[in-house]
Amino acid sequence: MDAYIGLVRRLSQITGVIAALLIALAVLVICDMVIERYVFNLTTIWQIDVVTYSIVAATFVGSPYVLMKRGHVNVDILPLHLGPRARYWLAIFTIVLSMAFCVALWWLCTKFWYESFSENWRSNTVWRARLWIPYLSMPVGLGLLVLQYAAELLATATGRQPPFGMAPGQTPTIDIPT
Amino acid sequence: MTPTTQGILVLTATLLLLFSGVPVAFGLGAISLVFLVLFQGFDALRVVAETFWSGLDEFTLVSIPMFVMMGAAIGSSPAGKDLYEALDRWLYRLPGGLAISNLGACAIFAALTGSSPACCAAIGRMGIPEMRRRGYPDDVATGSICAGGTLGILIPPSVTFILYGIATETSIGRLFLAGVMPGLMLTGFFILWTLFIIWKRGFRSHAPDFRYTWKQKFTSVPKIAPFIAIIAGVMWTLYGGVATPSEAAGVGAALCVILAIVIYRMWKVDQWWEILRDTMRESVMILMIIAGAVLFGYMLTSLYLTQTLATAIAEAHVNRWVLMGMINVFLLVCGFFIPPAAIILMTSPILLPIIVAAGFDPVWFGVILTINMEVGLIHPPVGLNIYIINSIAPDVPVTTVMWGTIPYVLCMFLAIIVLCIFPEIATWLPDHLMGPVKK
Repeated sequence: MDAYIGLVRRLSQITGVIAALLIALAVLVICDMVIERYVFNLTTIWQIDVVTYSIVAATFVGSPYVLMKRGHVNVDILPLHLGPRARYWLAIFTIVLSMAFCVALWWLCTKFWYESFSENWRSNTVWRARLWIPYLSMPVGLGLLVLQYAAELLATATGRQPPFGMAPGQTPTIDIPT
Repeated sequence: MTPTTQGILVLTATLLLLFSGVPVAFGLGAISLVFLVLFQGFDALRVVAETFWSGLDEFTLVSIPMFVMMGAAIGSSPAGKDLYEALDRWLYRLPGGLAISNLGACAIFAALTGSSPACCAAIGRMGIPEMRRRGYPDDVATGSICAGGTLGILIPPSVTFILYGIATETSIGRLFLAGVMPGLMLTGFFILWTLFIIWKRGFRSHAPDFRYTWKQKFTSVPKIAPFIAIIAGVMWTLYGGVATPSEAAGVGAALCVILAIVIYRMWKVDQWWEILRDTMRESVMILMIIAGAVLFGYMLTSLYLTQTLATAIAEAHVNRWVLMGMINVFLLVCGFFIPPAAIILMTSPILLPIIVAAGFDPVWFGVILTINMEVGLIHPPVGLNIYIINSIAPDVPVTTVMWGTIPYVLCMFLAIIVLCIFPEIATWLPDHLMGPVKK
């Protein structure tokens, strides 16, 4: 079980780096676009598509990493005021519920992606991008998200990690930007 | 089942689910799927993937990671410290000068990072120990920084305004400009209150025992000025209509990162990764909520819940100010528990038709909404900033911080009332610089 949790965490770490690089790519492409458009007065064709798709892809692909780091914001007032037992069960409930949603969404998105791939959909922008390439981020990202949720479930259910990441009798942990 | 019963059912289920501590993005998504299947059958799920994707597939949304990166670059550098020092060295001789330089630093840093927690942490880390060292009462020292931090979402560029602009299709440039004067006004209220309370408690010291030399006064300025110039440049291109928000913010983000690297010698790959990682975490979190909220909005409209509510309120013929009061109370209560991004994305598509039908200006309402969100940031039970202050100054009890923030909450209420009486404070600047809204 530890091997599975470790493997999934490693995967989420890697996709996290990929997502961060996608955002960096978007910044560079925007700079390129601005220079071409406003300095050289050229018409830009592919830049807007690439930037937008990179950011959307980063969202899906980076999601497992953010989940691992407890970055998906939630309302933690109730878990904070519960006793340890109730908090444990509530954590299990929220993980199962989110996981169920992610499985459903993964299934719907995979079907959607397959359709776009087999029918060779193109974007209705000037660039006529092949849509299955950016769409691929949905099945991949959401699939990993499901795996990460399974790891969270295992780690929480077996007591390897405290429910909601809260140590008993502690105020919420907040990462302070340094 | 009538739409009203459906609406009550959806509302109750959403609130219960959000309070269970489920991540907001997935909670909203799950609710939407369940109710779509419940009321429309499994056929309704066919559009879900496409809706989820198209909620994010929007060039304007790119501005969010870009503005976040701008803030992350500045936030991870020691720029906050320099800004604080610069202001303190210029203002330390004034009575209460330290309070002014703290709140001023918060306001400027807010403009630079657009993030309330980052602002609180950066200024608070220097400001709170310094204020306490010079004898300011604990509750004033912590409360003022707590409140000052919230200016981050009101003074442009602010991610909150971008979210509102996207959710309601209001011009982001206009919203940014509308935030400037209320932001300054609120900073003024905060400063006045702080000066008043320390004066009332008999605090007169203005550091007579030491002097800064002119050289010391000027050393920090060249480090800070370029960042302020970039933000000013971004704002200028935005309202000048020269470039779209995403383009301006993208170039701004690149410049901020380069400046942080050059000025603060951040050559290490680790430091670059830190900026990228923080940007990615924050943006992914916000964008996922957006996707969830778009799905939620799709569910509400396809079940005719939004329309039913808007008509019901229009037919009730409530006085428009009573209505505005009710909306404010509603937003405040939401703000006590739910993070600002989630509230704005969930409620503004529902509230906007009501607001417009009652004859209010959507840009003005964006400002009111944002001040409401600021209250939630420093008000118990959630009050994110309170916890941040608590981790910076762990020896000040949380209750002291909470009591310290109460007067600033009242300042925010006052600002909302003033804005209701004089809406021009928000609308004058955008109308003057960009021309009146075309109706």
